[in-house]
Amino acid sequence: MEVDRGSSNDFLSNLSQELFMIRETGVREEGERLIELQIGPAHPGSGHMRILAWVDGDIVVRCDPDIGFVHRTIEKLSENRAYIKTIPLVERPSLLDTTPMTIGYVNAVEKLMGIEAPPRAKYLRTILAEITRIASHFYGIGILAIFLGHSTGFMWAFGDREVMIELATMLTGARITYAYVIPGGVRRDMPQNFPDQVEKGLRYIERRLKDWEKLFLNNPVVERRLRDIGVLKPVMARRLGITGPNLRASGVDYDVRMAEPYEAYDEIDFMIPVAEEGDAYARGLVRFKEIEQSISIIRQAIKKIPDGDIISPQISRLFNPLMKKIYAETRRVKFPSLLATLKPPKGEAMARVEAGRGEALFHIISDGSTNPYRFRFVTPSFRNVILFKYLIPGHRLADIPAIYGSIDYFPPEADR
Amino acid sequence: MVYIGPLEIPGRLIYDFLHIFILPGFGAILVLVILIIWAERKIAGLVQLRYGPLHVSRRIGGALQLVADLIRYSLQEFIVPENVDKIAYLMAPALALLFAVIPIAFMPTAPGIAPPIYVEPNLLLILAVISLAPIFVIVTGVASDNKFAFIGSLREAFLMISYEIPFIISILSTAFIYGTLDLYKIVEAQSKAFLGVLLNPFAALVAYIAILRITGRFPFEISEAESELVMGPYTEYSGLMYGVAMGIGYIKLYVYTLLFSIVFLGGWLPISSTGNIVFDYILGNIILLIKASILMLIAVFLRSVYPRYRIDQAVRLGWSLILILSGAAVAWSLIIRLIIWR
Repeated sequence: MEVDRGSSNDFLSNLSQELFMIRETGVREEGERLIELQIGPAHPGSGHMRILAWVDGDIVVRCDPDIGFVHRTIEKLSENRAYIKTIPLVERPSLLDTTPMTIGYVNAVEKLMGIEAPPRAKYLRTILAEITRIASHFYGIGILAIFLGHSTGFMWAFGDREVMIELATMLTGARITYAYVIPGGVRRDMPQNFPDQVEKGLRYIERRLKDWEKLFLNNPVVERRLRDIGVLKPVMARRLGITGPNLRASGVDYDVRMAEPYEAYDEIDFMIPVAEEGDAYARGLVRFKEIEQSISIIRQAIKKIPDGDIISPQISRLFNPLMKKIYAETRRVKFPSLLATLKPPKGEAMARVEAGRGEALFHIISDGSTNPYRFRFVTPSFRNVILFKYLIPGHRLADIPAIYGSIDYFPPEADR
Repeated sequence: MVYIGPLEIPGRLIYDFLHIFILPGFGAILVLVILIIWAERKIAGLVQLRYGPLHVSRRIGGALQLVADLIRYSLQEFIVPENVDKIAYLMAPALALLFAVIPIAFMPTAPGIAPPIYVEPNLLLILAVISLAPIFVIVTGVASDNKFAFIGSLREAFLMISYEIPFIISILSTAFIYGTLDLYKIVEAQSKAFLGVLLNPFAALVAYIAILRITGRFPFEISEAESELVMGPYTEYSGLMYGVAMGIGYIKLYVYTLLFSIVFLGGWLPISSTGNIVFDYILGNIILLIKASILMLIAVFLRSVYPRYRIDQAVRLGWSLILILSGAAVAWSLIIRLIIWR
């Protein structure tokens, strides 16, 4: 595809000038006055990235995110792997938010192969995706809290996230990298007592959300640190291609779960929390509201989940007798060996999912061999990282962590 | 008033030694700072649904964790970076520590006993000495040759000026009521009327908020903000010097809360001089230390409640609300002195 680079650069520079005009920093030119700060890659407030900030007094006049420190060539690696071996690979970039990634990849592979998961598997995928969304949002809120110096928020977030991880462990057998979603279904059925345990966990989270409101959302210092900081206007958010809660906090009502429902989302009644302000506080608030929605989605999915197979008959007919016996007795899927040398027909397939941090896109080109010819993987953090450049200038040095935390940017996810 | 005069040797000498090295002095500082940091971690653990220090000395709840930390700091390699201004780099934290503890020598801490250095306006002297300490923090940052340290020390300078002035005004406003600048007489005046915190609540409020800022407690832990400035002015320090730098804030907290307890909470009240010097010394000091400890516990508890303010917000708060309140404290003192309590 041809990209008109000249015009896009003009667009970006115009945009940045526009921003300077809006903020009225009073400083337009670099000179002796500026201090160049290299925040990271070894800095308590940077994560696995470097933020280059030019500071005039206490005001940041220019900010460049420098990414790529944890690049792992996921796309290239997948070209030398069998299709099902890429499932654990796509989990690695965003370790806090693994299920949506595997769902997206597997959906693309399923489209290539022309198979579909049975309804029960779709519901199980939805439940696990929402559980990880809650965990991912808690992680983001915890990082936001510790960047503001609020250690209680950090510890609470990690403690509450643990409840969700325990539930996921009960369902999948692993704490973080589940690889639960496989072409044609899921690996395991849910245990007998799972619905009760989920209800217990969700009630606990609901109780905790009230504490969170008291200590974090209504904390006067938190409000003063986050309100009117890093305001992202809806027009800007659309033009920069921002995604996820950051987009919805700017008043743009867009969510892949609504726009292009996948798995069981079209059978479940939920709403997309949207805030109008577009500041750091709104971004935090939207995450809390999404946790509430996820709780409701999980409850409905648990109630509505149909009985039946958890693996598509096209896959289960490849089972040998022992596998069939295991599947019948324990409801666990063992991989048929044929699946390891899976050869989807020639063609292309694309899938989108709404991960915790926003829309993730998966594009597979198959040439009919056992490995993908090309696998393109666009993560939400990669799309949101541009916000560093546009939100931070004009703010104070102390606002860098506040804005960083509020956009819930996760460097390994952007680097892939 | 039964002062032990400067010439009553040997009782005077023994008392001076005890004052400086044991009870309100270094011994108490070491024990209390260790206990306060332990309590801070335990309280934070309680609020944050976790244990806090546990494994060093399990039976007493990990109270010796700080001792272990201190040992580790002192055995760790102490790296002096190449480009630092070596003399300033090494001297500044030591001098900051020294000027943080000197005021104890001027403080009367027990009924009937004068402090080791007894001069009439000792409140003024204490305020003069403790307001010297921030200069060394600024020197630390400049000598470190590090951008984060430099920014941290600049922040410290801004905040110091905007909070030390209201602090000094509010403390001195109480002198209007008591009509003296001698801490001993201030306590005596409180024993005849109400405690200072009731006589002038504005001054007490301003002084306590200013103490939170001056000693770098939350929500004013701004010059050492970890996510922004690594460790602020102390970024380049390692080993023992880092331990010292970390301890300065707590030692300052101790000294300031001692001063606060004497001025606003009546020092060693409710007891008064019984004539038995040993009894007076021990009980007076312990009562004072308990008052100071409660203030310190409240200060460290705030870590689990608040994040930190942004520098401009904190400076604006200092120059607006806090300064106005300290003005109100002066006015209130004048009203009490001229109208109510003539």
